[in-house]
Amino acid sequence: MNIQEYISSGIVESYVLGLASEEERKEFEQYCNQYPELLKARTAFELSLEQQAMAHAIAPDAGLKSKLMDAIGQTATVVPMHPTPVRKMNGWKYAAAACIALLAGSIYYNIILTGRNSQLRNNYDQTVAELNTVKKDIDMLKGNPDIKMASMKGTDMAPAAFTTVYWDTTSHDVYLLVNNLPQPADSLQYQLWALAEGKPVDLGFINEEYFVKQDRLLLKAKNAQSAQAFAITLEKKGRKNVSQPEGQIYVMGNLQ
Amino acid sequence: MNPTTTYGETELVALLQARNGQAFSYLYDNYSGALLGVIGGIITDRDLAGDVLQNVFVNIWRKIELYDPSKGRLFTWMLNIARNAAIDEVRSRSYRDAQKNQTIADDDSLPGAVTGPAIGDVGLKKVLNKLKEEWRVLIDLSYFQGFTHEEIAKLQGLPLGTVKTRIRTALSHLRTMIS
Repeated sequence: MNIQEYISSGIVESYVLGLASEEERKEFEQYCNQYPELLKARTAFELSLEQQAMAHAIAPDAGLKSKLMDAIGQTATVVPMHPTPVRKMNGWKYAAAACIALLAGSIYYNIILTGRNSQLRNNYDQTVAELNTVKKDIDMLKGNPDIKMASMKGTDMAPAAFTTVYWDTTSHDVYLLVNNLPQPADSLQYQLWALAEGKPVDLGFINEEYFVKQDRLLLKAKNAQSAQAFAITLEKKGRKNVSQPEGQIYVMGNLQ
Repeated sequence: MNPTTTYGETELVALLQARNGQAFSYLYDNYSGALLGVIGGIITDRDLAGDVLQNVFVNIWRKIELYDPSKGRLFTWMLNIARNAAIDEVRSRSYRDAQKNQTIADDDSLPGAVTGPAIGDVGLKKVLNKLKEEWRVLIDLSYFQGFTHEEIAKLQGLPLGTVKTRIRTALSHLRTMIS
Protein backbone atom coordinates (compact mmCIF):
# COMPACT_ATOMS: atom_id res chain seq x y z
CA MET A 1 0.00 0.00 0.00
CA ASN A 2 1.17 3.54 -0.76
CA ILE A 3 1.05 5.10 2.69
CA GLN A 4 1.54 8.69 1.47
CA GLU A 5 -1.46 8.34 -0.78
CA TYR A 6 -3.44 6.90 2.10
CA ILE A 7 -2.43 9.79 4.35
CA SER A 8 -3.45 12.43 1.85
CA SER A 9 -6.75 10.74 1.03
CA GLY A 10 -8.60 12.56 3.80
CA ILE A 11 -8.80 9.46 6.00
CA VAL A 12 -6.71 11.10 8.76
CA GLU A 13 -9.17 13.98 9.12
CA SER A 14 -12.11 11.66 8.70
CA TYR A 15 -10.85 9.45 11.53
CA VAL A 16 -9.92 12.24 13.92
CA LEU A 17 -13.14 14.17 13.38
CA GLY A 18 -15.18 11.03 14.06
CA LEU A 19 -16.57 10.78 10.53
CA ALA A 20 -15.03 7.46 9.53
CA SER A 21 -17.11 4.30 9.41
CA GLU A 22 -16.45 1.46 11.84
CA GLU A 23 -14.64 -0.47 9.13
CA GLU A 24 -12.47 2.51 8.17
CA ARG A 25 -11.64 3.12 11.83
CA LYS A 26 -10.42 -0.42 12.37
CA GLU A 27 -8.31 -0.31 9.25
CA PHE A 28 -6.87 3.07 10.21
CA GLU A 29 -5.96 1.91 13.71
CA GLN A 30 -4.27 -1.13 12.30
CA TYR A 31 -2.22 0.95 9.86
CA CYS A 32 -1.30 3.32 12.69
CA ASN A 33 0.48 0.45 14.36
CA GLN A 34 2.29 -0.41 11.15
CA TYR A 35 3.22 2.99 9.76
CA PRO A 36 4.80 5.56 12.08
CA GLU A 37 4.29 8.30 9.47
CA LEU A 38 0.54 7.73 9.61
CA LEU A 39 0.59 8.09 13.37
CA LYS A 40 2.63 11.26 12.95
CA ALA A 41 0.12 12.71 10.49
CA ARG A 42 -2.73 11.85 12.86
CA THR A 43 -1.04 13.54 15.83
CA ALA A 44 -0.17 16.59 13.74
CA PHE A 45 -3.78 17.03 12.65
CA GLU A 46 -5.03 16.48 16.19
CA LEU A 47 -2.68 19.16 17.47
CA SER A 48 -3.70 21.67 14.83
CA LEU A 49 -7.35 20.94 15.58
CA GLU A 50 -6.69 21.48 19.26
CA GLN A 51 -4.92 24.77 18.60
CA GLN A 52 -7.77 25.85 16.38
CA ALA A 53 -10.29 25.06 19.11
CA MET A 54 -8.19 26.81 21.75
CA ALA A 55 -7.92 29.90 19.59
CA HIS A 56 -11.70 30.05 19.31
CA ALA A 57 -12.55 29.22 22.90
CA ILE A 58 -15.63 30.78 24.46
CA ALA A 59 -15.45 31.31 28.22
CA PRO A 60 -18.30 29.47 29.96
CA ASP A 61 -20.41 31.25 32.58
CA ALA A 62 -18.62 31.45 35.89
CA GLY A 63 -21.29 29.53 37.79
CA LEU A 64 -21.05 26.49 35.57
CA LYS A 65 -17.98 25.01 37.20
CA SER A 66 -19.40 24.75 40.70
CA LYS A 67 -22.63 23.29 39.31
CA LEU A 68 -20.56 20.72 37.49
CA MET A 69 -18.41 19.90 40.50
CA ASP A 70 -21.61 19.40 42.53
CA ALA A 71 -23.00 17.17 39.80
CA ILE A 72 -20.04 14.83 39.93
CA GLY A 73 -19.87 14.91 43.71
CA GLN A 74 -16.64 16.86 43.97
CA THR A 75 -16.49 20.23 45.61
CA ALA A 76 -14.80 22.94 43.63
CA THR A 77 -11.16 23.22 44.50
CA VAL A 78 -11.40 25.62 47.35
CA VAL A 79 -8.34 24.98 49.45
CA PRO A 80 -9.54 24.76 53.04
CA MET A 81 -8.04 27.30 55.38
CA HIS A 82 -6.50 25.77 58.48
CA PRO A 83 -5.24 28.60 60.55
CA THR A 84 -2.06 27.56 62.28
CA PRO A 85 -2.33 28.28 65.95
CA VAL A 86 -0.41 31.42 66.66
CA ARG A 87 2.15 30.96 69.36
CA LYS A 88 1.80 33.25 72.30
CA MET A 89 5.23 34.80 72.04
CA ASN A 90 6.09 36.67 68.83
CA GLY A 91 3.35 34.89 66.99
CA TRP A 92 1.61 38.15 66.18
CA LYS A 93 4.61 39.18 64.15
CA TYR A 94 4.10 36.26 61.79
CA ALA A 95 0.40 36.91 61.67
CA ALA A 96 0.96 40.57 60.85
CA ALA A 97 3.52 39.68 58.21
CA ALA A 98 1.10 37.22 56.69
CA CYS A 99 -1.65 39.84 56.75
CA ILE A 100 0.55 42.37 55.01
CA ALA A 101 1.62 39.81 52.44
CA LEU A 102 -2.00 38.86 51.81
CA LEU A 103 -3.03 42.49 51.56
CA ALA A 104 -0.23 43.24 49.13
CA GLY A 105 -1.14 40.20 47.09
CA SER A 106 -4.77 41.20 47.08
CA ILE A 107 -4.00 44.75 45.99
CA TYR A 108 -1.73 43.48 43.25
CA TYR A 109 -4.38 41.07 42.06
CA ASN A 110 -6.99 43.81 42.10
CA ILE A 111 -4.85 46.07 39.99
CA ILE A 112 -4.38 43.27 37.47
CA LEU A 113 -8.07 42.49 37.40
CA THR A 114 -9.03 46.15 37.00
CA GLY A 115 -6.62 46.44 34.11
CA ARG A 116 -8.00 43.35 32.45
CA ASN A 117 -11.54 44.54 33.03
CA SER A 118 -11.01 47.86 31.35
CA GLN A 119 -9.22 46.17 28.50
CA LEU A 120 -12.18 43.83 28.01
CA ARG A 121 -14.53 46.80 28.27
CA ASN A 122 -12.60 48.62 25.56
CA ASN A 123 -12.59 45.59 23.29
CA TYR A 124 -16.30 45.20 23.84
CA ASP A 125 -17.09 48.86 23.09
CA GLN A 126 -14.98 48.71 19.98
CA THR A 127 -16.71 45.54 18.79
CA VAL A 128 -20.16 47.02 19.40
CA ALA A 129 -19.20 50.18 17.50
CA GLU A 130 -17.96 48.11 14.55
CA LEU A 131 -21.07 45.98 14.61
CA ASN A 132 -23.32 49.05 14.61
CA THR A 133 -21.49 50.54 11.63
CA VAL A 134 -21.90 47.31 9.70
CA LYS A 135 -25.58 47.09 10.68
CA LYS A 136 -26.18 50.64 9.48
CA ASP A 137 -24.48 49.86 6.18
CA ILE A 138 -26.63 46.79 5.68
CA ASP A 139 -29.85 48.60 6.58
CA MET A 140 -29.03 51.28 4.05
CA LEU A 141 -28.85 48.72 1.27
CA LYS A 142 -31.64 46.49 2.46
CA GLY A 143 -34.68 48.70 2.19
CA ASN A 144 -33.63 50.74 -0.82
CA PRO A 145 -35.25 49.88 -4.17
CA ASP A 146 -33.17 52.50 -6.01
CA ILE A 147 -29.88 50.72 -5.40
CA LYS A 148 -28.15 49.22 -8.40
CA MET A 149 -24.99 47.22 -8.14
CA ALA A 150 -21.92 46.46 -10.18
CA SER A 151 -19.75 43.40 -9.50
CA MET A 152 -16.23 44.36 -10.40
CA LYS A 153 -14.01 41.47 -11.38
CA GLY A 154 -10.23 41.46 -11.20
CA THR A 155 -8.26 42.15 -14.38
CA ASP A 156 -5.04 40.35 -15.32
CA MET A 157 -3.27 42.63 -12.82
CA ALA A 158 -5.00 40.81 -9.95
CA PRO A 159 -7.34 38.04 -11.12
CA ALA A 160 -8.47 37.25 -7.57
CA ALA A 161 -9.44 40.87 -6.86
CA PHE A 162 -13.13 41.52 -6.53
CA THR A 163 -15.16 44.53 -5.40
CA THR A 164 -18.78 45.61 -5.59
CA VAL A 165 -20.27 49.06 -6.06
CA TYR A 166 -23.73 49.95 -4.85
CA TRP A 167 -25.11 53.04 -6.54
CA ASP A 168 -28.22 54.83 -5.42
CA THR A 169 -29.79 56.03 -8.68
CA THR A 170 -31.87 58.66 -6.87
CA SER A 171 -29.47 60.19 -4.36
CA HIS A 172 -26.43 59.30 -6.54
CA ASP A 173 -24.59 58.02 -3.46
CA VAL A 174 -21.89 55.47 -4.22
CA TYR A 175 -20.76 52.77 -1.78
CA LEU A 176 -17.87 50.43 -2.35
CA LEU A 177 -17.61 46.95 -0.88
CA VAL A 178 -14.07 45.62 -1.00
CA ASN A 179 -14.54 41.87 -1.29
CA ASN A 180 -10.91 41.24 -2.05
CA LEU A 181 -8.24 43.69 -3.02
CA PRO A 182 -4.51 43.30 -2.39
CA GLN A 183 -3.06 45.88 -0.01
CA PRO A 184 -1.08 48.42 -2.07
CA ALA A 185 2.49 49.56 -1.43
CA ASP A 186 2.90 52.73 0.65
CA SER A 187 3.56 54.90 -2.39
CA LEU A 188 0.40 53.76 -4.18
CA GLN A 189 -3.33 54.05 -3.63
CA TYR A 190 -6.49 52.78 -5.27
CA GLN A 191 -8.80 55.20 -7.02
CA LEU A 192 -12.44 54.48 -7.82
CA TRP A 193 -13.92 55.65 -11.12
CA ALA A 194 -17.37 55.80 -12.60
CA LEU A 195 -17.45 55.32 -16.34
CA ALA A 196 -20.09 57.57 -17.89
CA GLU A 197 -20.44 57.55 -21.68
CA GLY A 198 -17.02 55.90 -21.81
CA LYS A 199 -15.36 58.72 -19.82
CA PRO A 200 -13.82 58.15 -16.39
CA VAL A 201 -15.13 60.26 -13.50
CA ASP A 202 -13.10 60.37 -10.28
CA LEU A 203 -14.99 59.00 -7.27
CA GLY A 204 -12.14 59.28 -4.77
CA PHE A 205 -9.39 57.19 -3.22
CA ILE A 206 -9.57 54.19 -0.92
CA ASN A 207 -8.08 55.41 2.32
CA GLU A 208 -5.04 53.32 3.18
CA GLU A 209 -6.29 53.13 6.77
CA TYR A 210 -9.00 50.84 5.51
CA PHE A 211 -6.48 48.12 4.80
CA VAL A 212 -5.09 48.37 8.30
CA LYS A 213 -8.34 48.51 10.26
CA GLN A 214 -10.85 46.80 7.96
CA ASP A 215 -13.53 47.97 10.37
CA ARG A 216 -16.05 49.04 7.74
CA LEU A 217 -18.15 47.00 5.41
CA LEU A 218 -18.95 49.77 2.93
CA LEU A 219 -16.81 52.70 1.92
CA LYS A 220 -18.63 55.88 0.93
CA ALA A 221 -17.28 57.33 -2.31
CA LYS A 222 -18.03 60.61 -4.10
CA ASN A 223 -21.45 60.86 -5.72
CA ALA A 224 -21.81 59.78 -9.33
CA GLN A 225 -24.35 61.64 -11.45
CA SER A 226 -24.44 58.99 -14.12
CA ALA A 227 -22.58 55.74 -14.67
CA GLN A 228 -22.68 52.62 -16.79
CA ALA A 229 -19.68 50.93 -15.23
CA PHE A 230 -17.18 51.28 -12.41
CA ALA A 231 -13.46 50.60 -12.19
CA ILE A 232 -10.60 50.84 -9.73
CA THR A 233 -7.09 51.80 -10.78
CA LEU A 234 -3.88 51.73 -8.78
CA GLU A 235 -2.28 55.18 -8.85
CA LYS A 236 0.89 56.82 -7.55
CA LYS A 237 0.25 59.02 -4.55
CA GLY A 238 0.43 62.79 -5.00
CA ARG A 239 -0.01 63.02 -8.75
CA LYS A 240 -1.18 66.41 -9.97
CA ASN A 241 -4.18 65.70 -12.13
CA VAL A 242 -6.37 63.22 -10.27
CA SER A 243 -9.28 63.59 -12.69
CA GLN A 244 -7.60 61.31 -15.25
CA PRO A 245 -6.49 57.74 -14.53
CA GLU A 246 -2.81 57.00 -15.15
CA GLY A 247 -2.30 53.63 -13.47
CA GLN A 248 -3.47 50.14 -14.33
CA ILE A 249 -7.04 48.97 -13.92
CA TYR A 250 -7.39 46.36 -11.17
CA VAL A 251 -11.11 45.66 -11.16
CA MET A 252 -13.93 46.68 -13.45
CA GLY A 253 -17.58 45.86 -13.90
CA ASN A 254 -20.80 47.05 -15.55
CA LEU A 255 -23.85 48.20 -13.71
CA GLN A 256 -26.44 45.44 -13.55
CA MET B 1 -2.21 33.51 43.88
CA ASN B 2 -1.57 29.80 43.73
CA PRO B 3 1.12 28.57 41.43
CA THR B 4 -0.60 26.81 38.55
CA THR B 5 -0.09 23.11 38.36
CA THR B 6 0.27 21.71 34.90
CA TYR B 7 -0.06 18.07 34.01
CA GLY B 8 1.31 16.04 31.17
CA GLU B 9 -1.38 14.24 29.23
CA THR B 10 -0.52 10.74 30.50
CA GLU B 11 -0.42 11.94 34.08
CA LEU B 12 -3.67 13.83 33.68
CA VAL B 13 -5.47 10.80 32.26
CA ALA B 14 -4.14 8.59 35.06
CA LEU B 15 -5.36 11.06 37.68
CA LEU B 16 -8.75 11.40 36.03
CA GLN B 17 -9.14 7.64 35.88
CA ALA B 18 -8.34 7.60 39.59
CA ARG B 19 -11.22 10.10 40.01
CA ASN B 20 -9.01 12.93 41.15
CA GLY B 21 -11.14 16.04 41.62
CA GLN B 22 -8.26 18.43 41.29
CA ALA B 23 -7.23 16.96 37.95
CA PHE B 24 -10.81 17.27 36.77
CA SER B 25 -10.90 20.87 37.90
CA TYR B 26 -7.71 21.45 35.91
CA LEU B 27 -9.26 19.75 32.88
CA TYR B 28 -12.27 22.02 33.12
CA ASP B 29 -10.21 25.18 33.53
CA ASN B 30 -8.10 24.34 30.51
CA TYR B 31 -10.55 22.89 28.06
CA SER B 32 -14.07 24.10 28.89
CA GLY B 33 -13.62 27.21 26.72
CA ALA B 34 -12.39 25.30 23.70
CA LEU B 35 -15.17 22.73 24.02
CA LEU B 36 -17.79 25.44 24.46
CA GLY B 37 -16.46 26.99 21.26
CA VAL B 38 -17.02 23.68 19.49
CA ILE B 39 -20.53 23.33 20.92
CA GLY B 40 -21.24 26.96 20.07
CA GLY B 41 -20.52 26.16 16.43
CA ILE B 42 -23.51 23.84 16.47
CA ILE B 43 -25.83 25.40 19.05
CA THR B 44 -26.25 29.17 19.03
CA ASP B 45 -28.34 29.44 22.20
CA ARG B 46 -25.81 30.31 24.88
CA ASP B 47 -27.67 28.83 27.83
CA LEU B 48 -28.38 25.63 25.99
CA ALA B 49 -24.75 25.38 24.89
CA GLY B 50 -23.75 25.81 28.55
CA ASP B 51 -26.08 22.97 29.57
CA VAL B 52 -24.60 20.73 26.90
CA LEU B 53 -21.09 21.65 28.06
CA GLN B 54 -21.98 20.60 31.60
CA ASN B 55 -23.30 17.24 30.38
CA VAL B 56 -20.19 16.77 28.30
CA PHE B 57 -17.95 17.18 31.33
CA VAL B 58 -20.13 14.88 33.42
CA ASN B 59 -19.76 12.30 30.64
CA ILE B 60 -16.02 12.81 30.47
CA TRP B 61 -15.83 12.22 34.22
CA ARG B 62 -17.95 9.10 34.02
CA LYS B 63 -16.49 7.59 30.89
CA ILE B 64 -12.84 8.41 31.29
CA GLU B 65 -12.03 4.66 31.49
CA LEU B 66 -13.19 4.34 27.91
CA TYR B 67 -10.58 6.78 26.70
CA ASP B 68 -7.85 4.88 24.86
CA PRO B 69 -4.65 6.91 24.30
CA SER B 70 -3.59 4.67 21.43
CA LYS B 71 -6.55 5.92 19.42
CA GLY B 72 -5.91 9.62 19.78
CA ARG B 73 -5.24 12.54 22.04
CA LEU B 74 -7.40 13.29 25.06
CA PHE B 75 -8.61 16.52 23.50
CA THR B 76 -9.73 14.74 20.32
CA TRP B 77 -11.73 12.31 22.43
CA MET B 78 -13.38 15.16 24.35
CA LEU B 79 -13.96 17.13 21.16
CA ASN B 80 -15.89 14.25 19.65
CA ILE B 81 -17.95 13.79 22.81
CA ALA B 82 -18.80 17.51 22.69
CA ARG B 83 -19.69 17.48 19.01
CA ASN B 84 -21.88 14.40 19.34
CA ALA B 85 -23.65 15.80 22.41
CA ALA B 86 -24.36 19.07 20.60
CA ILE B 87 -25.72 17.29 17.54
CA ASP B 88 -27.87 15.01 19.69
CA GLU B 89 -29.28 18.03 21.47
CA VAL B 90 -30.18 19.76 18.21
CA ARG B 91 -31.78 16.58 16.92
CA SER B 92 -33.84 15.78 20.00
CA ARG B 93 -34.87 19.41 20.17
CA SER B 94 -36.04 19.54 16.58
CA TYR B 95 -37.84 16.28 17.20
CA ARG B 96 -39.62 17.74 20.23
CA ASP B 97 -40.44 20.94 18.36
CA ALA B 98 -41.85 18.92 15.53
CA GLN B 99 -44.05 17.02 17.99
CA LYS B 100 -45.17 20.23 19.60
CA ASN B 101 -46.11 21.87 16.34
CA GLN B 102 -48.03 18.81 15.27
CA THR B 103 -46.32 18.83 11.92
CA ILE B 104 -47.37 16.04 9.64
CA ALA B 105 -44.91 13.26 10.12
CA ASP B 106 -43.01 12.41 7.01
CA ASP B 107 -41.21 9.11 7.23
CA ASP B 108 -38.59 10.30 4.83
CA SER B 109 -37.78 13.39 6.84
CA LEU B 110 -34.27 13.42 8.13
CA PRO B 111 -33.49 14.05 11.73
CA GLY B 112 -32.21 17.50 12.43
CA ALA B 113 -33.80 18.93 9.36
CA VAL B 114 -36.25 21.03 11.36
CA THR B 115 -33.71 23.16 13.15
CA GLY B 116 -30.85 24.22 10.98
CA PRO B 117 -27.33 24.29 12.31
CA ALA B 118 -26.10 27.36 14.08
CA ILE B 119 -24.41 29.57 11.57
CA GLY B 120 -21.55 30.57 13.81
CA ASP B 121 -18.51 32.06 12.24
CA VAL B 122 -16.20 30.48 14.75
CA GLY B 123 -13.46 27.91 14.82
CA LEU B 124 -13.69 25.17 12.26
CA LYS B 125 -16.74 26.84 10.76
CA LYS B 126 -14.65 29.82 9.83
CA VAL B 127 -12.17 27.58 8.07
CA LEU B 128 -15.03 25.73 6.48
CA ASN B 129 -16.33 28.93 4.92
CA LYS B 130 -13.21 29.09 2.79
CA LEU B 131 -13.91 25.74 1.19
CA LYS B 132 -15.56 25.33 -2.19
CA GLU B 133 -19.35 25.48 -1.85
CA GLU B 134 -19.98 21.88 -2.97
CA TRP B 135 -17.50 20.67 -0.35
CA ARG B 136 -18.61 23.05 2.35
CA VAL B 137 -22.18 21.79 2.23
CA LEU B 138 -21.05 18.19 2.56
CA ILE B 139 -18.75 18.87 5.53
CA ASP B 140 -21.42 20.93 7.18
CA LEU B 141 -23.97 18.16 6.80
CA SER B 142 -21.66 15.41 7.98
CA TYR B 143 -19.58 17.13 10.65
CA PHE B 144 -21.82 19.84 12.06
CA GLN B 145 -25.17 18.15 11.54
CA GLY B 146 -24.11 14.54 11.95
CA PHE B 147 -25.75 13.05 8.88
CA THR B 148 -24.48 9.73 7.61
CA HIS B 149 -23.07 9.48 4.10
CA GLU B 150 -26.20 7.62 3.03
CA GLU B 151 -28.46 10.37 4.35
CA ILE B 152 -26.37 13.02 2.65
CA ALA B 153 -26.46 11.18 -0.67
CA LYS B 154 -30.24 11.09 -0.42
CA LEU B 155 -30.46 14.70 0.70
CA GLN B 156 -28.19 16.03 -2.03
CA GLY B 157 -29.36 13.68 -4.76
CA LEU B 158 -25.82 12.41 -5.30
CA PRO B 159 -24.49 8.88 -5.69
CA LEU B 160 -23.11 7.52 -2.41
CA GLY B 161 -19.66 7.03 -3.93
CA THR B 162 -19.51 10.69 -4.97
CA VAL B 163 -20.47 11.84 -1.48
CA LYS B 164 -17.74 9.71 0.05
CA THR B 165 -15.06 10.88 -2.36
CA ARG B 166 -16.01 14.53 -2.05
CA ILE B 167 -16.02 14.44 1.74
CA ARG B 168 -12.61 12.81 1.75
CA THR B 169 -11.20 15.37 -0.68
CA ALA B 170 -12.72 18.24 1.25
CA LEU B 171 -11.27 16.92 4.49
CA SER B 172 -7.80 16.62 3.06
CA HIS B 173 -8.02 20.30 2.06
CA LEU B 174 -9.31 21.20 5.49
CA ARG B 175 -6.12 19.90 7.02
CA THR B 176 -3.86 22.11 4.94
CA MET B 177 -6.07 25.08 5.80
CA ILE B 178 -5.96 24.47 9.54
CA SER B 179 -2.28 23.81 9.92
